[in-house]
Amino acid sequence: MSEQNVGLAMDRDHRGMHLGQEKIAIEVKDWNLFYGSNQALNGINMSLPENRVTAFIGPSGCGKSTLLRCFNRMNDLIPIVRVEGEMTLHGEDMYAKEMDVAALRRRVGMVFQKPNPFPKSIYENVCYGLRLQGINDKQVLDETVEWSLQSAGLWEEVKDRLDANALGLSGGQQQRLCIARAIAIKPEVLLLDEPTSALDPISTLAIEELIFELKKDFTILIVTHNMQQAARVSDYTAFMYMGDLIEYTDTDTLFTNPSVKRTEDYISGRYG
Amino acid sequence: MEKENFGRHISELMNQNLEDLFNHILEMGGLVERQFEAALVALGSSDTAKASEVVAFDKIVNQAEMEIDKLCSRVLARQQPTASDLRLILAAIRIAIDLERMGDEIVKIAKMVVMFGHSDKDIACSELPGYGELMDISTRSNQMLKTALDDFARVSTEGAGELIQEEERIDVIFAEAMADLKGQLRSRPDEVECLMEMIIALRAAERVSDHARNVIESIVYLVKGKDLRNMDQARLTAFLSSLDEEQA
Repeated sequence: MSEQNVGLAMDRDHRGMHLGQEKIAIEVKDWNLFYGSNQALNGINMSLPENRVTAFIGPSGCGKSTLLRCFNRMNDLIPIVRVEGEMTLHGEDMYAKEMDVAALRRRVGMVFQKPNPFPKSIYENVCYGLRLQGINDKQVLDETVEWSLQSAGLWEEVKDRLDANALGLSGGQQQRLCIARAIAIKPEVLLLDEPTSALDPISTLAIEELIFELKKDFTILIVTHNMQQAARVSDYTAFMYMGDLIEYTDTDTLFTNPSVKRTEDYISGRYG
Repeated sequence: MEKENFGRHISELMNQNLEDLFNHILEMGGLVERQFEAALVALGSSDTAKASEVVAFDKIVNQAEMEIDKLCSRVLARQQPTASDLRLILAAIRIAIDLERMGDEIVKIAKMVVMFGHSDKDIACSELPGYGELMDISTRSNQMLKTALDDFARVSTEGAGELIQEEERIDVIFAEAMADLKGQLRSRPDEVECLMEMIIALRAAERVSDHARNVIESIVYLVKGKDLRNMDQARLTAFLSSLDEEQA
């Protein structure tokens, strides 16, 4: 009996994730955001890894949704918003003057809290983005619709009624349809803003499982009020408080041994 | 409850984690079995080199317990297990503790072999009173461990009744051996040191059977949700016969 002869499978399993070993999709440097004279984000620095799920948690008003909306320049739509700092997507300055915002939003798709399908058929909902890009080839559209619905875990439920109105689907199905619509144009990054807060627990688990699957193809950033959801679905978690990024690390560490007391207080329900 | 139930969550990650937990416990149990078998060989052949390996091997068993703790804390913190999943986590934590302590007890037996090997006294373990009982208790305890691990692997309580009875039989063998050794201590004062080692080793082998019983109790908790610890004898007997009836 020798120590060397014992290959413990458990040594090889469950290796922790480390940001230093990841390929980075989005890099944020000294990022500040102001609503008029109010500063909502204070000097955020973080590297968001590719093909991973990163969750943003924190109390209401901490800036997590504001930060998420920076990743596809949704905040541009609010006239009083002003930003400072640097944000790059695979090395490209996302806020450069020459950046085509519509093109950026094709690369960084978004799904919102409340399912918002268009009052059109299931099929037309999914290929809406492709049609906007001028793609009308029936075969391409058919293939994309099937792939997107398959990826969103909805294909089996709707394949026989693709012409049916999307508003006839259940809430959980509508949200998966919105995810299918977002991934149909093959973005690099998918932003999910509270994607399950309007859904029942089983639909929520289905979406969470979907998120786990989708990270193979996409970089996923999710904002959630539900800490348990962040713990379940994400590889990395960022805890924000009053516009500051308090702690950002792999989810195992954040939920078992956070290094900042404020994080510990929040995740263990001692906040406030 | 069937083992397949643990692989039927919507969350594939949860299925994977629980499957890993099963495998880790079985793997750690296998390590302790190997450690115990090697200790028995070392004991039977007074092989001090082998006994030293058994002592060193304990580090690997301890490491396995830490890995299981890590996995359990991860599942608890991240996946909020409930019902049978929660019982599995609690059972796994307890089983890992018992397996680790079995490893510690086995080390005590191995250390006796090492001590005799390096002693200037011209006496082998096998010549001491209590040796036969030590081998008997050790072999029985190792068999109990195997039975418990088999039940864990199948998420079954099939071996529970027999295992608990075996632990009680071992208590009787141990008590008789100790009574005999007490007498020997008085009549062989020159060999007190050796006899004390034998008492420690016997105690260790008996403790392994206690831990094996704890393991089966954790498995009963996992499968039936019933806590057998500190249950009075009458209720325990009734519960075990209800298990037997179910299995029949």
